[in-house]
Amino acid sequence: MAAPVSGMGEAPAERLPVNSTSFQKKTRSKLVSIPGTRPSVQNGQLLVSTGVTSLDYLLGGGLAVGTVLLIEEDRYDSYSRMILKYFLAEGVVCRHELFVATAQDNPDDILQELPAPILDDVAVPKAVEQPRLTGEPQDSLDAMKIAWRYQHLPKVQSALASSSRFGHYYDVSKTMEAEIRQAAKCHRFCLPDHVTPSSTAHRLESYSALLESLQEVIHREGFDLAAPMSKSRNILRVGLHSLGSALWGDDLCCHDKPRHRHALTTFLYGLRALLRSSLSVAVVTLPSHLIQDRALMGSITRLCDNAIALESFKGSERETNPLYKDYHGLLYVRQVPHLNCLASQLPDHKDLAFKLKRKQFSIERLHLPPDLSETVSRVSRGELASACGPSASGTKNLDF
Amino acid sequence: MLSELLQGIETGGLLIIQDSCSYSGRDLLRSFIAAALNREEEVHVLCFDVSEDELTDGLKPPYTQRLHVHNAYPDPLGWTDHPAFAVQQFRVEDLTDLVKQASQPKPATLVIDSLSWVLRHAAPPAVCRTLQQLRKGGAVRAVVALLHADMHQRGTVGSVCHLASSLIAVAPGPKGNEAVAKITKRSKSGKVAQDEETFCITEDLTVAVLSRLPEARPNGSEEEQADPTANLTFNLRLSESELEAKQKLTLPFVFSKEKKTALLHPGPGSGRILYEPDANDDYDQEDPDDDLDV
Repeated sequence: MAAPVSGMGEAPAERLPVNSTSFQKKTRSKLVSIPGTRPSVQNGQLLVSTGVTSLDYLLGGGLAVGTVLLIEEDRYDSYSRMILKYFLAEGVVCRHELFVATAQDNPDDILQELPAPILDDVAVPKAVEQPRLTGEPQDSLDAMKIAWRYQHLPKVQSALASSSRFGHYYDVSKTMEAEIRQAAKCHRFCLPDHVTPSSTAHRLESYSALLESLQEVIHREGFDLAAPMSKSRNILRVGLHSLGSALWGDDLCCHDKPRHRHALTTFLYGLRALLRSSLSVAVVTLPSHLIQDRALMGSITRLCDNAIALESFKGSERETNPLYKDYHGLLYVRQVPHLNCLASQLPDHKDLAFKLKRKQFSIERLHLPPDLSETVSRVSRGELASACGPSASGTKNLDF
Repeated sequence: MLSELLQGIETGGLLIIQDSCSYSGRDLLRSFIAAALNREEEVHVLCFDVSEDELTDGLKPPYTQRLHVHNAYPDPLGWTDHPAFAVQQFRVEDLTDLVKQASQPKPATLVIDSLSWVLRHAAPPAVCRTLQQLRKGGAVRAVVALLHADMHQRGTVGSVCHLASSLIAVAPGPKGNEAVAKITKRSKSGKVAQDEETFCITEDLTVAVLSRLPEARPNGSEEEQADPTANLTFNLRLSESELEAKQKLTLPFVFSKEKKTALLHPGPGSGRILYEPDANDDYDQEDPDDDLDV
């Protein structure tokens, strides 16, 4: 059956680029399409890109609008900060609005470090083997003689990527130009401006101040779902850096039995309720390696929709393991949400490792190369003899 | 890396010396004070753990003009009416006033001996907040603090060290007066450098770095490649003439180089469907039977 064309014989509303077909899906939905989002192929949710395409693939195509992504920081907070910057940079490029909150540092510090987008061309991840030049001799060891049609395929399918392009690539060595950054509207929250710390307060005020500020921004800028749909909608990207650390006034990371045990969990509950009723998406980073109470960590994970954990090899004994020499750390997917469905789409490979390259933050499957050493699969003859025969002499060959 | 740190801490840096009861880091702290005085910086010291005399023992007299010691050792909790410095005064406002009133407009280096004392009597989140604000404010150039890691819970030590831009963890070394320092340095760009060095401190408070500990990784011995053609009852090896004959053999379905590259890199315009919609093909997706003439 031929695919339908929008309108009877009318010219399509947009001129399609030259090298695509003229098939067009007839859409009848009344939803205003928001730039930088796309509907999920699995459950129809509106998705935004996190800025890292491999992470989008792991989370089921992207981050659903109205959800929270929890990133458990690595020990020195280098890679989790990088992912937060990717998330905010993606917001700038897609022209979403940003809300950045930090405890003591100036939010502008994070905003000035956003990576520069690669706008002209998409950096396609290259295959492992480069295409052969015509001048090379026929019988070089690398060129395949018989299976030459497979020459360009990588040896192991380790990179995770979905087929369609959603999300942009960024060059980490350059920072985003000031004009691009200032074109995006950004709301900042710095804790000392909003809360005067008093040591006698028995209730933690920092999280409630943050929640109130976020609610005020959402309501004022019209991200509420209850607001009239007529004007053009946009997405608010919320980035909360290092929540739960001692700089927020919370002793969750300091004591084994924290006094304000439920402050962060109450905040996350309120945050999720706020996000569900508005067109926003949040990324929260948390120094989970400092939290000693694992039950509390578990409840924090449950309260966020998506949760990943980063473990960097820097400074640990895994740094010298030859298995990990190509990577910068391991990534664990702790939780993937079920949104309006019974079962969630968990990634089928659990061993994931990440590598921060200049133009890409790649997350790959960790695969073990086949072990071809002699000691592995050969059973020594002595053992075989003593196992089967009654005699105790170990060096006799079995003779049939 | 220890000598680089001794030569200067960058502005806004927080250096934490983490020690335990098996080796005291106070000598290293005093050598940092001596190095800062040699560089003609103003140094303010908060003395909680030991008395002022013990701390300044060994520091040469001409330099002590730039050294301001706030002695909290006699009365740290402010039980008498006029304490020199009390733990309650460990707040940003009080510390900034203290530093500003004593020294010249040049920002000073603040040395805290020890931070453990403050953490025992003030809430760790408040202490972390004070340290962070001190770094960001202009009055203090850098902060050097001594922390006894075995006096606090792991989360507290972790939280305070998380703030630090450089961390030196000292432990007793192999010989008597030597010690091992594990240094972690975080730069503003997020890069982390780590090192492990053996050092000892001389009488005049200079640090002699003895050796870098060699990378103590056991080198995996080269595994012998298993030779599959050995120890067989049939011959799998090729002689020279057989090798030549094998190379000369032309395989079926072997194309020339040009045809191979043409097949491997498909040019534009191959394998695409260009569809021009026909008038008969317009129908509603909802009703597939729309074009039936019934």
